[in-house]
Amino acid sequence: MKKPSNRFWALLLGGILLLCVAAGVYLYTRPAPTVGPVAIISLDGEIYDTIDLGAVEEEYTFTVTGKIGLTNDIEVAPGKIRVCRADCPDQICVGQGWLDTDFIPIACLPNTLVIQVVDGEGSGIDSMVG
Amino acid sequence: MKLKHLMSGLLALSLLAGCTGGIAPSPTPSVSQEMEAHNKDTFAMDTLMSFTAYGPQGQAAVETAAKEVVKLDQLLSVTGEDSEVWALNHAQGQPTVMGEDALALLTAAQALGRATDGALDVTLYPLVKAWGFTTGSYQIPGKDTIAALLENTGYDEIAIDGDTVTLPQGMEVDFGALAKGYAGEKCVKLLREQGVTSAILRLSGNIQTIGAKPDGSPWRIAIRDPESINNSDYLGVLELVDQAAVTSGNYERYFEYDGVRYCHIMDPSTGAPTQNPLTSVTIVGPSGTACDGLSTALFVMGRDRALEYWRSAGGFEVILVEQDKNVWITPGLADQFSLKDGLGYTLNILEE
Repeated sequence: MKKPSNRFWALLLGGILLLCVAAGVYLYTRPAPTVGPVAIISLDGEIYDTIDLGAVEEEYTFTVTGKIGLTNDIEVAPGKIRVCRADCPDQICVGQGWLDTDFIPIACLPNTLVIQVVDGEGSGIDSMVG
Repeated sequence: MKLKHLMSGLLALSLLAGCTGGIAPSPTPSVSQEMEAHNKDTFAMDTLMSFTAYGPQGQAAVETAAKEVVKLDQLLSVTGEDSEVWALNHAQGQPTVMGEDALALLTAAQALGRATDGALDVTLYPLVKAWGFTTGSYQIPGKDTIAALLENTGYDEIAIDGDTVTLPQGMEVDFGALAKGYAGEKCVKLLREQGVTSAILRLSGNIQTIGAKPDGSPWRIAIRDPESINNSDYLGVLELVDQAAVTSGNYERYFEYDGVRYCHIMDPSTGAPTQNPLTSVTIVGPSGTACDGLSTALFVMGRDRALEYWRSAGGFEVILVEQDKNVWITPGLADQFSLKDGLGYTLNILEE
């Protein structure tokens, strides 16, 4: 059997080299995978739903019902979320307005509803006063 | 042979390039197991509290802290019929035996009341009710009603004798301006006792920190923009290590009538919601209880009196925000605070 020539090895290794460089360039230059912002909606301490706010194109509204029968209408828009109507007595959740950051949640105490935003890039802020 | 050497060299180079490419998209360093974050959320004191402690003792510590705030809520609630505060407020002028937490708060309330010349008064609950802030059914009480209710106020008339407390008939105390600060301070003590060296306790806009973050950098705390209707909009960021920060603002609970905003912060001298150009007051200091009480008291005082008080009392730092978008900051915080661009606020650093 004829021994493979130097030319064969050169071509084979050259091909491997090209593939490796191409893979390296792809891995190095592709955009880092970003997560979110994603809204995590918890009701009575359990996760009720998660919504990728970055993928929302049109506003929509849905209703959640807590275990004592109170309801919150949640409005979702591109990149943000809020409670737009609630039948809780204090309306604090509605008053919190739109949420698009990860350092403060929306909470409805009477209905034990918590909406939290998790952002892949993060705001770099740990919490908020006010 | 030469060719083989060349090939091996190029192969090694290409593999290296591939490896570098593979590592590049993962910029986050792995967190050491020893400083892992432990979280606990709990509903107490009419709000969501969220505690984070780092390190091996973290989980047990945040669980203990959460239990503590629930216990304090039960003891100190002004509306819970099983609370010590309820018993005191409904004692019809008779002496009531109180536990150590309520006693500590009553003592702190009187000390802060005296120090601030009455700008903090924990006996205004009947007025808070009369204006509708407890139910959301807001109303403007008549002058006679306010005058009559003011007759029954005065933190100095709370008689503390050992563990027994007596209120004049008709007086009611409410720890709304102090309880979260006290709870945070007590939880910090519990966490430290368990060996926690890095933690952040969020008691609904009332922050307590232990140490710095595990990487040694300060905690970054946003201060709410009083002019925005969205709670998550902020005017600047404050960097904290081992300190408490508390904000009182006129946007928290309020109603408007005839173009006037009536906020939930009562002025003890008028029996009416505080009216002055301040929109928020943030206090930074070592004691959560003092920060909480002072944020209310300095809001009531207004800018000039507040700054006069800061100059004479000391021991804490202040950020005042006014309607005209001027932000006044004490020099001790100047390096720790950065204003957010594009909102139109002007930062003024005060002189000692």
